[in-house]
Amino acid sequence: MKLTRVMVVEDDTDIQKVIRMSLKMRGVGEIVVVDSGTECIERLARFTPDVILLDVMMPHVDGYETCRRIKQNPATREIPVVFLTARVQKADRERGMKLGALGYLTKPFDPMTLHDQILALFPEASGRKEEKGTSAKQ
Amino acid sequence: MTAERHILDSLSSGLLVLDGANRVSFLNRVLAEMLHATPEEWVGRDAEELAVVMARFAQPLAAPRFAWPDSFGSRDIEWRDAETLRYFREDSAPLVAEGSRAAGNGRVIAYHDVSHEKAVDRMKSEFISVASHELRTPMTSIKGSVDLILSGFAGETSPEMQELLEIAQKSCDRLVRLVNDILDLSKIEAGQLKLNLERLDVTEIAVRAICAVKPLADKSNVRLRVDRPQPLPIVEADPDRIEQAITNLLSNAVKFSPPKGDVVVELSSDENWVQCAVSDQGVGIAEKDLHRIFGKFQQLSEGRRRGGTGLGLAITRGLIDEHRGSIWVESRVGVGTKFIFRLPVAVPPTTGAPELAGKVAKP
Repeated sequence: MKLTRVMVVEDDTDIQKVIRMSLKMRGVGEIVVVDSGTECIERLARFTPDVILLDVMMPHVDGYETCRRIKQNPATREIPVVFLTARVQKADRERGMKLGALGYLTKPFDPMTLHDQILALFPEASGRKEEKGTSAKQ
Repeated sequence: MTAERHILDSLSSGLLVLDGANRVSFLNRVLAEMLHATPEEWVGRDAEELAVVMARFAQPLAAPRFAWPDSFGSRDIEWRDAETLRYFREDSAPLVAEGSRAAGNGRVIAYHDVSHEKAVDRMKSEFISVASHELRTPMTSIKGSVDLILSGFAGETSPEMQELLEIAQKSCDRLVRLVNDILDLSKIEAGQLKLNLERLDVTEIAVRAICAVKPLADKSNVRLRVDRPQPLPIVEADPDRIEQAITNLLSNAVKFSPPKGDVVVELSSDENWVQCAVSDQGVGIAEKDLHRIFGKFQQLSEGRRRGGTGLGLAITRGLIDEHRGSIWVESRVGVGTKFIFRLPVAVPPTTGAPELAGKVAKP
């Protein structure tokens, strides 16, 4: 399995750059970066990524609400969502996973292994039938 | 009314005295008001009857408890009266009669309003949670950028640049550990740590912790092993938190071990406790320093040099305390150090789960 199209939803421009470079380094061809939940929903009408990397703490529509909307819409509900967030508490992780996310990675992340960590969350990549959230290793 | 009665009714805390036959022999005005009653209504009645009435207010966090397995007991309870929620610290002790404290004399139980302390703890915890998030955001950019430069992605770096960037990388990793530790400790101190209790064998957790620490041990050329002469009884514990405690102890042991040293996890038990001891052959701790080893930011100079946060042992003690266990240290300078903790053996499932503090969350 290979990631070729990724949507990054992140409101911090510096972190956007780090994620973009990290994925580019691993050969991800198409990386669409948006800085809000609203823009994410709009862009999904025109762009279907292999995975959405979703921050939680964003103004107006936060990551949880964005995930809820993605999973509510029949046109987008099959797109895997992976949270990438600074919210590290167990309750935050459980909330994210309950919304139907594929995984839950925490900041700061290791840009050298981010791509592999996302890939490992896919059942077909790891041979697992059911996926659980996990933390980015420091 | 006696002068003593006036004094006890003037207290800001509720007060209850039970006699040796577990009947109410005294109840002050504050406690009576909490129960919407008068003291006279309750004197002479059975404590069990009182417990039923109190449980209407004290749910759901914990029902009042008039006897403790130990002589003294203290815990916090939630007190809901219509729309008002308050927190009380329930302190129970055997009654002193004829100069001695004996179980047969009865008990004295005090209810102190700790709502303000709880509110402050909650605010502190919220502040730390927000601060932790706010710190992580710039740390993500710094760590990400430094890691990418060091990978060569942005072009070649000179050996001097490489060395300086490695310093920045190491410091950033340390900062991340510090933020994580502060967040954990603040939750423990605020009593907001939620344990996901499971019935488990500590052996499995110890093996998991060893796997987690193995890369660090290999790097330092330190050998790790588990000694478990007999199968262990089951304990009721949060596997992630116990793994965190053992990992903390193992990481410390590895950090302070000489090359080719042995770090051993010894597991043993008796009918009441499962014991886990982590020993190293490191530099040891001077006797004068042992008393402060579990304190916050109480690193000895060696620990600071080795990149610790100074919070690991305070967190470990907090985690073990939350499980109603105990932890202590034995050490000899130049010989090594042994950290030992004990967890209570679980009650068999048919007789019900052991009652931990009211803050415990079942999975």
